[in-house]
Amino acid sequence: MTKSNNRLAVIAALFITLIFTAPIIWMVLAAFKNISDIYAIPPVWIPDFSYLDNFVLLLSENWQYLLNSVIVTLGATAVCMAFALPAAFGLVNYRFKGRNFLADWILSTRMMPPIAAAVPLFMVFNTAGMLDTIGSLIIVYAGFNLPFAIWVSMSFFRNIPKEIIEAARIEGCTWGQTFRTVALPLAKSGIATVSTFVFIFAWNELLLALFLTSREAKTFPVVISSFSTVTKTYWELISAATIIQILPPIIFTLLMQKHIVSGLTMGAVKN
Amino acid sequence: MVFDVKIYLGDTMAQISYSLGKLVLPLSKIDLDKRAGFLFIFPAVLYLIFLSVFPFLYSVYLSLYDVKLTRLDKKYFVGLENYLNLLNDPLFLKSILNTAILTVSSMAIEIVLGFVCAKIFLSLREQRVGQVLRSMSILPMMITPICVGLIFSYILNPTLGIANYLLSNVGVEPLSWFGDPSVALLSVILINAWQWTPFMMLLMLAGLVSIPDSLYEAAELEGAKWYHVARWVELPAIKDVILIGIILRVIDNLKLFDLVYVTTRGGPGDATELVTFFAYRQDFRFFQVGYGSAAAVLILLISIIITTIAVRYLRRMQND
Repeated sequence: MTKSNNRLAVIAALFITLIFTAPIIWMVLAAFKNISDIYAIPPVWIPDFSYLDNFVLLLSENWQYLLNSVIVTLGATAVCMAFALPAAFGLVNYRFKGRNFLADWILSTRMMPPIAAAVPLFMVFNTAGMLDTIGSLIIVYAGFNLPFAIWVSMSFFRNIPKEIIEAARIEGCTWGQTFRTVALPLAKSGIATVSTFVFIFAWNELLLALFLTSREAKTFPVVISSFSTVTKTYWELISAATIIQILPPIIFTLLMQKHIVSGLTMGAVKN
Repeated sequence: MVFDVKIYLGDTMAQISYSLGKLVLPLSKIDLDKRAGFLFIFPAVLYLIFLSVFPFLYSVYLSLYDVKLTRLDKKYFVGLENYLNLLNDPLFLKSILNTAILTVSSMAIEIVLGFVCAKIFLSLREQRVGQVLRSMSILPMMITPICVGLIFSYILNPTLGIANYLLSNVGVEPLSWFGDPSVALLSVILINAWQWTPFMMLLMLAGLVSIPDSLYEAAELEGAKWYHVARWVELPAIKDVILIGIILRVIDNLKLFDLVYVTTRGGPGDATELVTFFAYRQDFRFFQVGYGSAAAVLILLISIIITTIAVRYLRRMQND
């Protein structure tokens, strides 16, 4: 490539980056502005970053919902992986009639629109007295991410050479031991990737949390959405909350970018 | 998906070959025995039945009744009336139309822009600056969807938003991005495309890096123009990944809710009413869960059709 062509490409890349990051940055800047600066026209471009009142106000009233989000997300990730890993291992190593059908069925449940499950789940948890509890959200989020976790975990259990599994069996390991002491350690980095994906999916979820929580178990996205009402929008709270809310996905994206394509395509596209 | 299992394989492999050397047993039968296989897979299957089969059947059941969320004990069987009403409900039909328009147009934007971006980052992939800028460009797609909606509500606010301020500086009249029925859907489409163009870009980049330089050189020797290269060299390489991207994005767009929930709430009027939002409002605003369930069942049927195609395709790709 010629030098001038390369410079042109860099300029174009800078422009693309600006388009995809500027809106996020603009919201981040708003979090450090007082109310009048948030609404100022012409805009205040660079705020005073030592102004943290928005964060203080936000967290003093809503820290318990942030905590809810953390507990629900971590809990859902743990439950999801506890079900997904054995299932994926079984589906890879256990040959039986209808195995492909079962795997396809599992994948197809990932495509189900949450709205189709919302009312029935609402009724079940209502009957069980579990509406507006953290437990119900953990159960639902773990379940909704289960197909994804199983399907992608299958692809890395498949990468473990068959000979290793065979050898462990011949050494006298039970299937449970083979799974725990041989397969899991070998798939360590893959498990880390999948868990992080599940974590982010659960962290970002809004629709089901709107249905299943009302006061006690509200998650942070529900709280954020409540800052925008028909009559008034609390931008100072929204901007501060947005920073906190998008921090985990941003860190995740920067750390895991090699796995994002394969993760989001359920392992169909490798890079 | 490629994981660096090789790091751990080093020692284990040595150990394995050693133990294999000692043994002369036939190794053909390594399948789990029945009971173990069952124990591994069954809990997850049961879980999924509870979270997908049961809700589906229950939704179908509810959709045959006239029932209010506030009075669940009073149900009136109405047969297919909810479905017939839905198909005659202008709001529901509008929501299907809007969802279709949104899906097709945001995907068209995502594919075209994604391709341009992918080409640019492809030419810079050996350079540090290209890698850093690419990492930053892909941030939108993992960000919490309601935050994306709120970020743009702030930017596109008719009176205090920066978008209209910048436009007024170049002499463009302020726009009512979410308030004007003829603009609102376009605004939602543009935001949706903003969030997901990086995904298409990454997909296409994954396809484009697989093209060997020699193919480009050969095309250049033949005197091929850029559009010849795009058609005969690049398109075949990225056809499959584009198809996967389209399938996944169609399914996601059918579920689209958060973005509309915080920006337009379906309005103004019915301008941005989407199918998922329609069902949500029936269920939890008007408490018409029978009617809402019928809508949900129809949405589900559409997804099942698309999913059947999708699953077949994804399985083929993963097994390749």
